[in-house]
Amino acid sequence: MIVTFPKPKGVRDPNRPAGSLLLAQVQHLAEAEKGLPPRYQSGIFSHAIQTEGEAAHYIRAVTENIHAAHDDAAAARVRRAPRRRRVIEIAAVADQAAENRFRKKPGPKKSTGKQPAKKKKTTRGKPKS
Amino acid sequence: MPPGLDQLQHIVVLMMENRSFDHMLGSLKAVNPAIDGYLASDPFTNPDNNGNAVKPQALAEFQGQLDPDPDHHFPAVDIQIFGGATGAGRVANMQGFVSSYFHQREDVNHSQKILYYFRQSDLPVLTTLALQFAVFNRWFASIPGPTICNRAFAHYGTSFGRVDMNPFDIIAPIKSIYTRLINASPARSAKVYYYDTSSSSMEVANLLQNQTEQFGTYPQFLSDCDKGLLPQYSFVEPNFSDHDSDDGEEVANDQHPDHDVQAGEALIAEVYTHLKHSPLWPNTALLIVYDEHGGIFDHVVPPSCPKDSFQSSQIDPGTNQPFQFDRLGVRVPAILVSPWVKAGTVVSDRVFDHASIPATITKFFLGSYPNVSQREQNAAVFIEPNNGSGNMANNLLSLDVMRNDCPDFQMTE
Repeated sequence: MIVTFPKPKGVRDPNRPAGSLLLAQVQHLAEAEKGLPPRYQSGIFSHAIQTEGEAAHYIRAVTENIHAAHDDAAAARVRRAPRRRRVIEIAAVADQAAENRFRKKPGPKKSTGKQPAKKKKTTRGKPKS
Repeated sequence: MPPGLDQLQHIVVLMMENRSFDHMLGSLKAVNPAIDGYLASDPFTNPDNNGNAVKPQALAEFQGQLDPDPDHHFPAVDIQIFGGATGAGRVANMQGFVSSYFHQREDVNHSQKILYYFRQSDLPVLTTLALQFAVFNRWFASIPGPTICNRAFAHYGTSFGRVDMNPFDIIAPIKSIYTRLINASPARSAKVYYYDTSSSSMEVANLLQNQTEQFGTYPQFLSDCDKGLLPQYSFVEPNFSDHDSDDGEEVANDQHPDHDVQAGEALIAEVYTHLKHSPLWPNTALLIVYDEHGGIFDHVVPPSCPKDSFQSSQIDPGTNQPFQFDRLGVRVPAILVSPWVKAGTVVSDRVFDHASIPATITKFFLGSYPNVSQREQNAAVFIEPNNGSGNMANNLLSLDVMRNDCPDFQMTE
């Protein structure tokens, strides 16, 4: 059974006065916006909104800002958290440590209690007087 | 267990705006007398401001007729249900729709338009789905009031004592249906799909503000249908405004007066069509329901119900009487769609309201759950739980074999 229905022919009017439902939604978003950090503020004066188009413009701005604020907070949380290493990474680090031990790279000398001799100042690079 | 319930894995709710049962589906009584709609021969009338008895007429128009938006805040709905009577002993009679609308424009002729309803042929999508699947004769708004508090019942099973449009606070231990599902062990999946960011969600105060990860857009919903990636529970919100978008010009399709009713028909057809052609069709049920009546007439008296755990203050309702959430709002259209539902099903023996939504989703996906409101605890479910606790006499997904005769919709110029 195929049922046909007509393509909507209604009047599209973003300048239609915003009804009580849209204005309530704007009010809820304005309340939510108060809790956002300053850089996520829309800068739109919600009390001046009168039409559906204006309401939609504000609703979009605040909705996107709420998402952005949550996304940024989640990203920062990931950056702050210590990265858990996988087993293979831990093994690689252990291998690297063992390799380093066999390298003939002089480590820091044990302290003898004496102050290290001061390096002589060189005149390299400096114009001779 | 019935195979329809065994296979059910996804439930989708599409909640439209502000139309009553008789206004949208009342004409179907002429087609199927089991549907409790309205016939021209029925005795229901409303008095106008000149004292004349006015009858409903099949003269509803898609747009431009209900201007101003009929009042549907708590005090106005109180007048509509009780005919303007106040005080103890008053009786609900549905006699106040015309007089309530008259107060907004003081035009007797215009006030009668609140009793206009659509012919079956005006709404081919909604009426076809009502006749081809299950239509509920007794699904009421949760509160005799406006949108926000009624939609709260769909998300939380309560409005936490609110009967108005103001932001509300969640009161512990009640949790949204989405949080219940996502926090369950094992976790279930749930999502609210709003139309786009310019339309956004009507549940800003708690969900959008604090749980953005639970939201998707309508194009994502359609894509999730097509790819078979729907969450276990999806709540779809229509477009609430005419606006410009990155893709062009968007038209409101929520059917809220004075938005185009045909645009809503197209939305319902699109949701249904994508589900029907989804690989998840055998495993999915779709509930199409309206949040409240929008001030438009209905002839069925909303029943009383057990009180909620929360009550309004004396000031909130605007009637100088506290409201104990012990009466439902005006009746709204509600249709359950699934290839396991028998065509022509009419559900008449039980009363539903929007608290039935979280009640059904919770019982179906989680079983028993401790912290729900009184109203949700007492709400009827529209899909029986498949864990042995369901009453199979009430099971609407009752067919032994999945239907292959479900209708298709096609838009014409």
